[in-house]
Amino acid sequence: MKPLIRIGAVIRKELREIVRRPGALLSLTLGPLAVMALFGLGFTGARQPVDIVIVIPPGIEISKDPAVYQKVAGGTTHIVGVTEDVSAARAQLQRGDVDMVVIAPSDYRQRLERGEQAVVVAETNELDPVQQGINAAVADIMTRELNSEIIRVAAEQGQAQILASGQAKATIKPEVVARPFRVDVKDQAGIDPTLLIFYTPAVLALVLQHLGVTLTALSMVRERLSGAVDIFRVAPISAVELLVGKYVAYAILGLAVALLVVLGTTNGLHLPFAGSVASFGLAVVLLTFASLGLGLLISLVADSERQAVQLSMLVLLASMFFSGFVLPVHEFREPVKSLAYILPVTYGIEIFQQEMLRGSLREQWMQAALLAIGTVLFMLSAARMRRVLRGVH
Amino acid sequence: MTDLLEHPIALDGVGRRFGDVVAVDDVSFAVAEGTIVGLIGPSGSGKTTIIRMLTGALGPTAGLARVLGEDPAHFRAKTRERIGYVPQSFVLYPELTASENVSFVAALFGMGWLARRRRVRETLERLELYDVRGRRASQLSGGMLRRVALATALVHDPDVLFIDEPTAGIDPLLRAKIWDSLRELRDAGRTMLVTTQYVGEAENCDAVALLAHGHLLALDRPEGLRRSVYGGDLVEVRTARSADENVFQGISGVKSVRRRDPRTVHLVVDDAGAATPRIAEALSNDGTSAVSIEPYVPSFDEVFEVLVARDEEQVRAA
Repeated sequence: MKPLIRIGAVIRKELREIVRRPGALLSLTLGPLAVMALFGLGFTGARQPVDIVIVIPPGIEISKDPAVYQKVAGGTTHIVGVTEDVSAARAQLQRGDVDMVVIAPSDYRQRLERGEQAVVVAETNELDPVQQGINAAVADIMTRELNSEIIRVAAEQGQAQILASGQAKATIKPEVVARPFRVDVKDQAGIDPTLLIFYTPAVLALVLQHLGVTLTALSMVRERLSGAVDIFRVAPISAVELLVGKYVAYAILGLAVALLVVLGTTNGLHLPFAGSVASFGLAVVLLTFASLGLGLLISLVADSERQAVQLSMLVLLASMFFSGFVLPVHEFREPVKSLAYILPVTYGIEIFQQEMLRGSLREQWMQAALLAIGTVLFMLSAARMRRVLRGVH
Repeated sequence: MTDLLEHPIALDGVGRRFGDVVAVDDVSFAVAEGTIVGLIGPSGSGKTTIIRMLTGALGPTAGLARVLGEDPAHFRAKTRERIGYVPQSFVLYPELTASENVSFVAALFGMGWLARRRRVRETLERLELYDVRGRRASQLSGGMLRRVALATALVHDPDVLFIDEPTAGIDPLLRAKIWDSLRELRDAGRTMLVTTQYVGEAENCDAVALLAHGHLLALDRPEGLRRSVYGGDLVEVRTARSADENVFQGISGVKSVRRRDPRTVHLVVDDAGAATPRIAEALSNDGTSAVSIEPYVPSFDEVFEVLVARDEEQVRAA
């Protein structure tokens, strides 16, 4: 009975301290959520079309009408103009007036007659690696479309000659000859994954980890600095009782935050929640369990509240980069990829996205992994707490 | 040694080093049941280190420490329930009310809800804090905070109390109130070891252990300490004009003469009552008129100064 009384005392104390510091709680939970909501609502994801100048060297007998090339290139590009002056086009590229200069090959006829490919040169001036990739893809698509268009025109002319000679009847359209396949994408996930929908579970996972890590780290450092640990040493409370009290309090807090966020996003922003409440609740508890262990580890090395906050922010930063929040985890090399799987939020993001958006968790082992991380951290923390409560002998 | 360790609080040859620094050196004393022992000394004299060794936060590097017959490093849960402790640095939980802070510590000691409710009320009333029970610790004055901290140590009705600097940084009126509370507890049978840097507070204790540089300079009852330091009673003699010190040297029972100012001398005598008429007679024979001849009670600050000076002389001589 007495252990329960002591654990209950710690739970009440922790919850009272948190609830009576609403500013800290709000900035830790609503802060990231508000930033994410702004991002989701304000970010369209629509990229500006790539501005292109086409250079057709003098003497080449092809169209100089921008509209012709705009039709071939499609909506992801904007053909700014067609010119014969390659130097002027490059100056525009240098100034940043355009994103790309496409130079038609002056020897294309001779190369084709020799049975060689003609080379279209696409020049860019880009620092952003993502945009550079997009530019390369746009140039590639544009060249493919140009090739297909040439085939289509050739097929059309060929069919016209055949029809005129009366030798045969054309059965295949020139468009089909040039582009025999087209793709029709069907998503079985059953939702329309806007950025807001996709990132909300990830932000919730990040908030829960950040909340658990920061509050626990701060709480333990405060206990030490305030002299409360001296009371714990004399009182008959054990390290496990103390930790269980803190864990239960923060699990209650984590569940409350998750409940509010899910209710807010499903009712207020009409985001989907496809999974089961019990399974999602279990995931919240497991993520909180593992995150608290991480916070306790921080509190063991932090000498002051400031250092605890700095280390918590470092964990947050690492989580942003390596957890799959922004960049897919599988794109990292080892051992960085393994580092990502030490962070509870890596599992949290995957589990929350699958539970909330897909309705079921495909990788059941992830919950077991969270439980394992949490258990290891709990045991480490309990061992360390025992040493702290034992004093220096 | 056995007798010493049978007391509720006992230290036998206890020392504590931190690397090359000796924080406490060969300290032995005991606190008898139902008494207050004041551990008195300036900042850095080793008071808190001794308290921390007795509460299990630090292990001694030499000697034995015992509380309620047990080694503080291995207190049983039942023993812990009989100990109350107010650390020097405990600043309470600022977001919790006075009552919640006290109730939290009571629950840590395993008190159930009903008992806790009753004891929290009783303790707050005893320390005149019941009216501010609902006020958060962050809104309490420094003096109130110290009293709430004291309440956290008393709420589970412990047999033995360790109170580290209960009066540090608070006004004299409140200090007197806190000592009143401690004496009440002593009268109710509690055993207490109280540290303070205010030497004058020694008067409130049943026995005083004076510490400096980790050494135990003296251990005695407050009155006994005065006598042991000076080697007898003190008599203050004030004269109308400057008296020759030789007048006092020959008086039977006078052990030593210390001039305080031209017209005032302090005499160390075997017995102040017996010496006073002899001093008056000697002055009269010398033709020196006495303004007053009275027993002098030196303050503990003076006693402490003498002891520290003596200790430093011994260290230099060694």
